[in-house]
Amino acid sequence: MISSFSLSPLMRCFRSVAALAGILVATAGLHGLALAEQAPSFVQNGVLTICTNPTLPPMTFVKGQDVSHPEGFDIDVAQALANRWRARLSVITMDFTGLFPSLSAQRCGLVMSGIIRTPAREKSFDAVTYQDTALVVVGRKGTPSLTSMDELAGKSIAVESGTSYITRLGLINDTLVAAGKPPMIIQQYPTEEQVVQQVLIGRVFAFVSQDVELFFRMRQLGDKLHVLITPDIPDYHHFAIYLRPNAADQTQLQSAISALETDGTLPALRSKWSVTDQSTKNGAANATSSSMFDWNAFFSALTSTAFLHGALITLSVALISHIIAITISVPIAIVLNSPQKSVLKIALEGYVSLFRAAPTLLQLLFIWNAVPQFFPIFREQWFTPFLATILALSVNESAYQVEINRAALSAVDPGQELGASALGLSRRDIYWRVIFPQAFRIALPPTINEFINLLKITSLASVISLQELLAVTQIQVARTFAFTEYYAAALVYYLVMVFFFLFLQKRVERRFAWSDRKKVVSNAA
Amino acid sequence: MQHEATDLPMISVRGMSKLFGEFVALDRVDFDVSRGEKIVVLGPSGSGKSTLIRTLNRIEPHDIGTLNINGKLINEKTDPIQLRCMVGMVFQNYNLFPHLSVLENCILAPMRVKHMSRAEATALARRYLEQVGIPDQADKYPIQLSGGQQQRVAIARALCMQPQVMLFDEPTAALDPEAIVGVVSIMDELAEQGITTVCVTHEMAFSRRIADRIIFMDQGKIVEITPPETFFTTPQTDRAQNFLNQMLRY
Ligand SMILES: Nc1ncnc2c1ncn2[C@@H]1O[C@H](COP(=O)(O)OP(=O)(O)OP(=O)(O)O)[C@@H](O)[C@H]1O
Ligand SMILES: [Mg+2]
Repeated sequence: MISSFSLSPLMRCFRSVAALAGILVATAGLHGLALAEQAPSFVQNGVLTICTNPTLPPMTFVKGQDVSHPEGFDIDVAQALANRWRARLSVITMDFTGLFPSLSAQRCGLVMSGIIRTPAREKSFDAVTYQDTALVVVGRKGTPSLTSMDELAGKSIAVESGTSYITRLGLINDTLVAAGKPPMIIQQYPTEEQVVQQVLIGRVFAFVSQDVELFFRMRQLGDKLHVLITPDIPDYHHFAIYLRPNAADQTQLQSAISALETDGTLPALRSKWSVTDQSTKNGAANATSSSMFDWNAFFSALTSTAFLHGALITLSVALISHIIAITISVPIAIVLNSPQKSVLKIALEGYVSLFRAAPTLLQLLFIWNAVPQFFPIFREQWFTPFLATILALSVNESAYQVEINRAALSAVDPGQELGASALGLSRRDIYWRVIFPQAFRIALPPTINEFINLLKITSLASVISLQELLAVTQIQVARTFAFTEYYAAALVYYLVMVFFFLFLQKRVERRFAWSDRKKVVSNAA
Repeated sequence: MQHEATDLPMISVRGMSKLFGEFVALDRVDFDVSRGEKIVVLGPSGSGKSTLIRTLNRIEPHDIGTLNINGKLINEKTDPIQLRCMVGMVFQNYNLFPHLSVLENCILAPMRVKHMSRAEATALARRYLEQVGIPDQADKYPIQLSGGQQQRVAIARALCMQPQVMLFDEPTAALDPEAIVGVVSIMDELAEQGITTVCVTHEMAFSRRIADRIIFMDQGKIVEITPPETFFTTPQTDRAQNFLNQMLRY
């Protein structure tokens, strides 16, 4: 039967006409129903797919470790919309930066992720407001309230890195500077906890957050904080659902939201998720672990710009620090290896022992938190976590590198220096042409080891808010609880970097054929 | 005045002492070496032979006394590089640069110190490698050569600087008997070419054949300076006699 249908064009034609008629009949029949309505075009095959970045409690966040099942106000609103359109809800979670590209690529019909409605985003997408919100500037209890954002001029403000607050504050800074006032000093921290902590310890004047998220903090911190100002930022009042530009869809979504508002669904969800008061249930903790490895989360982490950026910071901090360390350590090693006694030598011995003895983490914290107390210049803006880390790590690493260099230099036969100076070579040539090349071969393996160590030690710098690879990973993990996937992605980055340098070491060592009789012979053969 | 340049001794040492802390390694030594002369320094171990010849190119600067080379007073004001272009040295342990090929060992100093072009330096090096009998080893690394071959490279390397004086510090001491023969024959050849030579060695036959005079040292002092015939047959001091007796026992 079926095969005969496909053989007859006429029959096929008839069939599609019949189907069309059926649809018309069905729509006509549904028209009278109050709850069900025709689904917008972004609902495809009976499925409403939304994209979300579950990092903003209580709007969208992951309670357990299963990233594919975020919860929150947004998710419940999406479910209500799906019910309305008699569709099944499918939620895709991803990195924030992936949301809008995924929407464009039609991987989802809506982006619902506690995203502020902004004109910039509306250039490319349609938006429908579903929740009022406000940006809040929060200070310590006892700090007088502000009347205008201008009063923040020259003050330091902590924000969570990767959020839109940074651009927002950047714009305010532009107006401050234009008005001849000093800009706010913006400090970024990898976690919301750290942001709040900066205010509590008094390092920064205030922090910036979203009111809905603040309710979470208020519950933990009780009366230690207080809202200094809720600035009236014109395009910063609403969370919006984003969709691909389509006037009909937008109108339909708009009316669906209005309907949910009037029938009491949205107010009920607001109180369920405490979007407007301070009695939210605890969101994230204590969930059971999922045994599933979510390859999507893993690959999206692996290919995320956040990870790439983190890896680049890790790599550049390690490289720059090690290059500085080597540059400092070579002359120190030469002085320390010389037989003469001198004050300089004693001072350098002290330097080396001090920095070898002190834990690297302590040195980082000391440079970031303690040194500015004595030298206010290090409190200034130019002294970024990046610079602070490089300063701490290069000093620390130079102490270790001195020992490697000393060992390597003294492993070079003293006859080499004698032979070279008997030939009339200058001190410079003796070092650069005779001693260093031989010491280099000896120092290379331990130096590469040190570098690999350093590459990993950079992760300590997350304590001073450097956005290196592990810090990035931890933020993602704290938000998504995708421990395995994010750690695995970070591991991949570390492995790739380390293996690259090990490969480089092998390549360089191949050029040291002169040091090994067997190698030379086999090369010649 | 100008004719005197050739009459002046190549090396002239007066009242020269060298101290290592309290220890007197060289004790007021005096001697002259004329142009083209071959001097062999003999003496028991620790008598200061190495110290003596190292003061001559100032890789061990002397503390007291005067040193003249080629009519020039050598002291802390002397440009060490100029001095070492004039005075070449060969060590017991060769001190070749292991990370450089034989040829590179030879051309490094001519290029870096004398600013020769690579082609010039290479041509020169090949000539001296030919002279020391290992022209075909130029591209090998020192580690691939036998001890005797390495010492020949060291001699060629020193000759590449075209020095006026050659210092040898026990050049054959680390070699086996066969290799010694080769190196000694090269030194014979060099001697014939008339380069001023100061050589510390225990090769008695070689000393006898080559040396114009023998300097015999003990405890940092020069005990006697005599022509080899006299030294080996009728040494003037008991110490020299004892030394010779000991040498003959082995
Ligand atoms: N750098 C130094 N510091 C202290 N003492 C030294 C130093 N170099 C040499 N000496 C001492 O000076 C003395 C003379 O040493 P030198 O090497 O000149 O002896 P030598 O005659 O060459 O002996 P050998 O036949 O064993 O080579 C020795 O007692 C030695 O211990
Ligand atoms: Mg000696």
